Amino acid sequence: MVYKPKRNMVGLSSLKKYRLISFLITFVATALVLPAILFAGDNGPCIECHTKQEKLNVLEKAKVDPISGEIKVASMLIDEAIYKASAHGGEDFFCIDCHQDLDGVDLTEGHKPNLKPVDCITFCHDDPAEDYLQSSHVKLMKENNKDVPTCKDCHSGLSYHYTPLGEKSPRDVPRGVDPLHRRLTVEACGSCHQDYLDSYKNNAHGQVTSLGYTITDVPVCFDCHGKHKILNSSDPESKVGKERILETCGSCHANANASFVKHVEHPQIKNITYYKTMLAAIKGARSNPENLKKVIKNPQTILCIVFVMYIGILAFTFSSFGLHSLLSWFAIVRDERKRKGHADEEQH
Amino acid sequence: MSARERDMLMKSNINYLRFRFFHRFCHFLIIISFFGLVLTGMPLAFRSYDWAKWLYELFGGYPTAGYIHRICALITFFAAFIHFIYLFYNISVKKKKGFFWGPNSLLIQPRDIFDIIGDIKWFMGIGKKPTFDRWIYWEKFEYLSLMWGTLVMAVTGLILWFPVQFTKIIPVSVASIIDLPSIALIVHRYEAILAAGFIFTIHFFHTHLLPEKMPVDEAIFTGRITEEEFKHERLNQFKRLENQRQLDSYKVAPPSLFVSFLTRLFAVPILITGLIMVGLMFSALLVWAI
Repeated sequence: MVYKPKRNMVGLSSLKKYRLISFLITFVATALVLPAILFAGDNGPCIECHTKQEKLNVLEKAKVDPISGEIKVASMLIDEAIYKASAHGGEDFFCIDCHQDLDGVDLTEGHKPNLKPVDCITFCHDDPAEDYLQSSHVKLMKENNKDVPTCKDCHSGLSYHYTPLGEKSPRDVPRGVDPLHRRLTVEACGSCHQDYLDSYKNNAHGQVTSLGYTITDVPVCFDCHGKHKILNSSDPESKVGKERILETCGSCHANANASFVKHVEHPQIKNITYYKTMLAAIKGARSNPENLKKVIKNPQTILCIVFVMYIGILAFTFSSFGLHSLLSWFAIVRDERKRKGHADEEQH
Repeated sequence: MSARERDMLMKSNINYLRFRFFHRFCHFLIIISFFGLVLTGMPLAFRSYDWAKWLYELFGGYPTAGYIHRICALITFFAAFIHFIYLFYNISVKKKKGFFWGPNSLLIQPRDIFDIIGDIKWFMGIGKKPTFDRWIYWEKFEYLSLMWGTLVMAVTGLILWFPVQFTKIIPVSVASIIDLPSIALIVHRYEAILAAGFIFTIHFFHTHLLPEKMPVDEAIFTGRITEEEFKHERLNQFKRLENQRQLDSYKVAPPSLFVSFLTRLFAVPILITGLIMVGLMFSALLVWAI
């Protein structure tokens, strides 16, 4: 621990007055609160300054996103409660695990203004990356030479930072079980897979999440399809494939059976394309009977028929009974007028 | 009918019993459970509208709204159960006649076909308003659709409540073509829209919001109707009972002002709630159509 206040003041004399004062306050406060050297295993010194506006020289910084080129404003303030609740706020997790260039730094004079960009992948998030490289997303990218999502495509939307100023920071990314995080993943998947999101909303699960309830009791996309290693259902390792579907559904529905897992999670009842497929199959019944058989055996077909039937019942019931009500009202009013007319004649 | 004439009718001292306590109680149970079911279930059907989110949150959101929905379903089951116990007791034990045939039956009779034709003639202005017996044909239709609707909603609702247990009883080869829970969900959703839409428009406008009843037909709550109302609505029944000399046995004291007041206090907010619900549902249809 080194105390050299006089020399410091001389060295900073060229700074503007207000910066000097704020630095002084920060410095004195830092000097008073010990220890001044940052060690692994303690967030105390970081929290000490970074939760208090008056103790910081710089409250926010602009950052250029290396991938999107987007300019983001990151706050240097930490909301302790939100940080603790976040994915990075565990008991055995420390600031310098990510900001490694601060390990063992003397904080007496504060720390250097610009830290190295945090490397999320090398030491911590390497497993998901490996899983992701084996997923259908990447496979398709290689096969079709298409732009499929990178880490940031899904995760940047999730890096919410809840300071009163509203900036973003990956630090406070909510935990996987956080309803907000879960809701945002639905939107993230849906931004590319719009038709799957639409059909999911027609289902029992999707209708609840559509109302904004995304607690872990109600499955969002990744609960069934997996997080990083999303595979086509034909793949034996896929969470929604034949071999693992019992286990996937069974994680919520105890004793899920082989019939239960035949459930249609994405009903096409409001998808005009499926109706066209059905019509085409009927039209081509002679030339291609196999196709018709396939459509008939598809569980979607019966759902579409039931749906159309109900639309018909609704239309018929309300138009006929609506007409009945309307006509009876007219008739009542007409009779009343007639009666009044007679009454008037009698009076004359 | 002018307001004064209406008041005269209301003040009439001769009253007849139209609904016994058991039926009034069943109707009350159905009101309570039906509104609970509609208010907690309809947001799911109209999930993309803000009012649905608001309403769902009002009832505690997930999973509280779901629990309320299930409790109300159990009340509906109870009402249906005691109704069928009543029918069974009267038909099999007391050997009462007239449940399946005749003017007291709620099943469709040949007479109803003539009533419908008579009504159509009346609508077109080529005939007089037909006179009715104890049950008018649309009341029978409402009763039968309530029975059918309750059955459909109960079966599909139970499938959605216990999907694993229900799918266990169907073989895998069938399940891969006929997905029971998904069919149940679609049927449950659109049958619900049908039922709620029907009750909140057709039932309300045919029974409670008629020009001569506005705002509520108190008969189902107090059980009583005045002689004038009786003659106006169900002349055939009145004459029949008169001829059979049974009319006097139905005579009761008029409902007290307090009971009348309570009826309105309970029924008017319920009617308004139903009309708002159907308004929101209909507005959703308009938004979708546009």
